[in-house]
Amino acid sequence: MTTKLVVKTITIVICLFAMSCKHSDEHKYHTVIDKIEAESLNYDAVTVSSETFNETINTVKVSEDGYEFLIPERKSQIASYNCTECHTQPIEKLKQDQVGEKAAHWNIKIEHAGLETMNCATCHTSNNMDELHSLTNSPIDFNLSYKLCSQCHQQEFKDWKGGAHGKQLGGWAPPRLSNTCVNCHNPHKPAFEKRWPVRFNTTVEQERK
Amino acid sequence: MSETNKKWYSLNLNQSKKSDSCGCGNNEGSCSEEKPKDGFDQIMDVSMSRRSAFKKITAGLVIGAGAVSTACSVVSGDESKEKSGIEWDEYFKGNYKLMTDEDKNKTVDRLTRSYELRTGKNLSMSSKDAEEDVLFGYAFNISKCQGYMDCVNACVEENNQDRSTEMQYIRIHEMEDGKGFNFEESDDNYYHEVPAENHFYMGTQCFHCDNPPCVEVCPVQATWKEKDGIVVIDYDWCIGCRYCMAACPYDGRRFNWKTPEVPEQEVNKKQHYLGNRLRKKGVMEKCTFCIQRTREGQNPACVEACPTGSRTFGNLLDPKSNIRWILENKKVFRLKEDLGTEPKFWYYMD
Repeated sequence: MTTKLVVKTITIVICLFAMSCKHSDEHKYHTVIDKIEAESLNYDAVTVSSETFNETINTVKVSEDGYEFLIPERKSQIASYNCTECHTQPIEKLKQDQVGEKAAHWNIKIEHAGLETMNCATCHTSNNMDELHSLTNSPIDFNLSYKLCSQCHQQEFKDWKGGAHGKQLGGWAPPRLSNTCVNCHNPHKPAFEKRWPVRFNTTVEQERK
Repeated sequence: MSETNKKWYSLNLNQSKKSDSCGCGNNEGSCSEEKPKDGFDQIMDVSMSRRSAFKKITAGLVIGAGAVSTACSVVSGDESKEKSGIEWDEYFKGNYKLMTDEDKNKTVDRLTRSYELRTGKNLSMSSKDAEEDVLFGYAFNISKCQGYMDCVNACVEENNQDRSTEMQYIRIHEMEDGKGFNFEESDDNYYHEVPAENHFYMGTQCFHCDNPPCVEVCPVQATWKEKDGIVVIDYDWCIGCRYCMAACPYDGRRFNWKTPEVPEQEVNKKQHYLGNRLRKKGVMEKCTFCIQRTREGQNPACVEACPTGSRTFGNLLDPKSNIRWILENKKVFRLKEDLGTEPKFWYYMD
């Protein structure tokens, strides 16, 4: 009688053990984080690529602190680049020659930090308008203008490099192509504006009345 | 009170009766040998009068003969013959999960041809399977979302959602600062300038759980999790019982109460069998991470449309992907994590 009971108990224990976690492929992991960690160990590469979705965009390579990715090329997108086609002389000289005339960049109004912090010359170089400059006056290429922004916005820069700030273009598949700062933010007025949402669901509104 | 005079009905679970009479009230002979009827017998083994039996047989014959006569008729045109042939094959096809690649191609061809016969327009439908080494995940930055709802519009257009009932997979919740994630008090159908003062915005959609309760409850296995983590629905296998809708703790699923209407010129012709192909009345649908785009390497439509960069999509198995960086470096959380549904949709803040 007792042996029967022992055998029964052992069978039940074995059954329970077999039915607990990790018995099938479906429930191999306790959490999705475990799954990601385990399955990405042997990650090689995927066969799909996002290149075809970004064919129309000229790109520039960014290489910062071990992060390597592409950003859209900028100079060809600026309407009147090269700037030196008009800015043949330093600003002060041009201003002297054009007293009383309408300023060329009349439509640009700086709403970026305060005027005691920033003005045109914080970023633009009066004796070389084709390039920008850093706080310590080293030249910065227009295509790599993120170097200028990152001087102050360090947390955003860090997040952007990793991929938590900013927008990825085309596809999730490599190669990575991310918008650079000025593709989303107007550098002269970087904050996003208030506007109306593009959608209002009238059916839902009626149903809830 | 005697058993027979009982005014209520009891289930008698696990209560073996020792009395001579049994539940059926028949005291003669024995009832113990009566077996429960299975599906076939339930239909066939029914006592029926001669008249109603004839009625049923005739009705069945008329339907069957109709289908056969259109398919074999000499009079009806080739097109209508082809059409009913397609309808016949579609009606009797198997579950998508069990189909071979050849079967999948066949059903996709039939559906494409059927659309062509109906509208005279061509569409491209794919049945592409999941890639190796891919597990899709999504991250949403609640500090950045401004509530513009560009994502919702893009989603509706991309996924051929019903225009007449204004179905939308994505909901953007306007939440008041200082009240936490209070879905009860938040508004997901606002219309005023955004972002509103003292409010933040949080988007929800299908979270493609790694342990999806909706899949567990489906009685016909019409919904399942693909290898790349996308939870999909076979619209031709769904019986419309809406168990999955009840099981989803995130309101991720939608039901077609009527035949969805999409104007011909607005139909997105780039389709996937498990994704944005045109649905019918009485079936479930939901976000598929834009399977027709993402299986090709592209971003979902909502990610592409977002002007603020709040939305990140990527491969969780690629250690160099943006989504992995977010999971490893930002303070991320998921909704109702304690349910154990393991959503693959993370929220984070700056």
